[in-house]
Amino acid sequence: MKTIIRSTTCADRLLFLLLVLASCAGIFISREAVSQSSDVLIEVNGKAAYTFPLTTDRLVTVDGPCGPTVVEIRERKVHVREASCPNRLCLKEGWISKGVIVCLPNRIVVTVGGGSAGSPRGVDAVTG
Amino acid sequence: MKTNLVAVLIFAALLNPLACAGRKPAVYKKTKPLMDTLVTITVVANSEGEAEKAIDAALSAIDRFSSLINFFSDQSELARINREAGIRPVRVSPDTLGVIERAIFIAEKSGGAFDPTIGPEIRMWDFLKKIRPSDASIREKLGLVNYRDILIDRDKSTVFLRRKGMMLDLGGIAKGYAADMALENLKQNNIAAGLVAAAGDIRAFGLKPDGTPWTIGIKNPRQKGDADELIARARLTGKAISTSGDYERYFIEDGRRYHHLLDPRTGYPSAGCRSVTVISDSGLYADGFSTAVFVSGPEKGMKLVAEAGVDAVIIDRDGGIHTTPGLKGLVAFEDNH
Repeated sequence: MKTIIRSTTCADRLLFLLLVLASCAGIFISREAVSQSSDVLIEVNGKAAYTFPLTTDRLVTVDGPCGPTVVEIRERKVHVREASCPNRLCLKEGWISKGVIVCLPNRIVVTVGGGSAGSPRGVDAVTG
Repeated sequence: MKTNLVAVLIFAALLNPLACAGRKPAVYKKTKPLMDTLVTITVVANSEGEAEKAIDAALSAIDRFSSLINFFSDQSELARINREAGIRPVRVSPDTLGVIERAIFIAEKSGGAFDPTIGPEIRMWDFLKKIRPSDASIREKLGLVNYRDILIDRDKSTVFLRRKGMMLDLGGIAKGYAADMALENLKQNNIAAGLVAAAGDIRAFGLKPDGTPWTIGIKNPRQKGDADELIARARLTGKAISTSGDYERYFIEDGRRYHHLLDPRTGYPSAGCRSVTVISDSGLYADGFSTAVFVSGPEKGMKLVAEAGVDAVIIDRDGGIHTTPGLKGLVAFEDNH
């Protein structure tokens, strides 16, 4: 190892430093990529239709088999504002900042922050 | 100079934390609306790509199966069997045949407390719109409910419902079977640990990355708030768990609770239990027997559980809890119970 270090030139050391910096930058870049999971993902029939940042307020109209569903993002929270499905259970889910809102009849799944609501109950799934 | 440069590059690559990224097992999850419910598959995998490939394949397998046995789709094999009731046998796929045969087995074992020919009765109810059929129509359709009138020809792979108007409804076991199917598919894609949850019909296999079993919450059938959502927690691996409850699809009229777990022998909702959770080696049996035990009521239900070789948590109509000895150490009840 000592021989390697001794035999390096200034350019080699500079290159080495650059590579180390690039590696560190990689960590931050990958962290940035992971943090995108706090975005809002809207899926229709199991296929990703839209991804929006949670930080920008907006209204999105998504068409499903029952008609349009209006999803609202406001102040880092998401809810279903209007629904054309028969039972409208998705409206009753209210505002979420993490987790999933589902409209089964309209086959729309809105996932915020990667979907896991942090499992406050400490369980991996619930039966019943 | 060239050698030095190579040495430096190798050294830097070894230092690069990204070179090792994605090799550590982690938990990945995906949810999709299928079978008129939400199916969530969780896997332990070394990378997101590996997890996604396996999960997508398993979800597709469920989707294919669901298209065969969908009660509401005219195109399904199940719909064809129902349309041809009393007319002619219908040739079906091995999956459909297998599920129907197992449904008949659970019906026989439970003395008809579970019956896949409940279709004509269940379709008269609408729990969302609070529609209850008249007593006369319940009595009338009861004549069409009898699992003994399902005729199977295994050699020809056909199913025949003996009388016109009969209707198979596999809703009581299909999700459990779908979980079994998805699990096999995940294993074929080299996934060694995960959870398949077709709503509350769940199969767990392998261990989590921290080496512990999967924790499954069992819902409190009379939940009042967020704090008492669960009645118990089960720590499972290599097992299936399913719950049938009177709080899933129901309405209350004149102080009486009408729910979707009909007794096939009377046509009315069974009143003996609030919920029944069954733990078994198979998703299909956990699903089917949870319905069968619920309809049987706590006393007969406990006998049925012992005969079927499965474990169960029964919450009776008064909130009393009955469990099988096999659950000792596997299920922990919450402090509020």
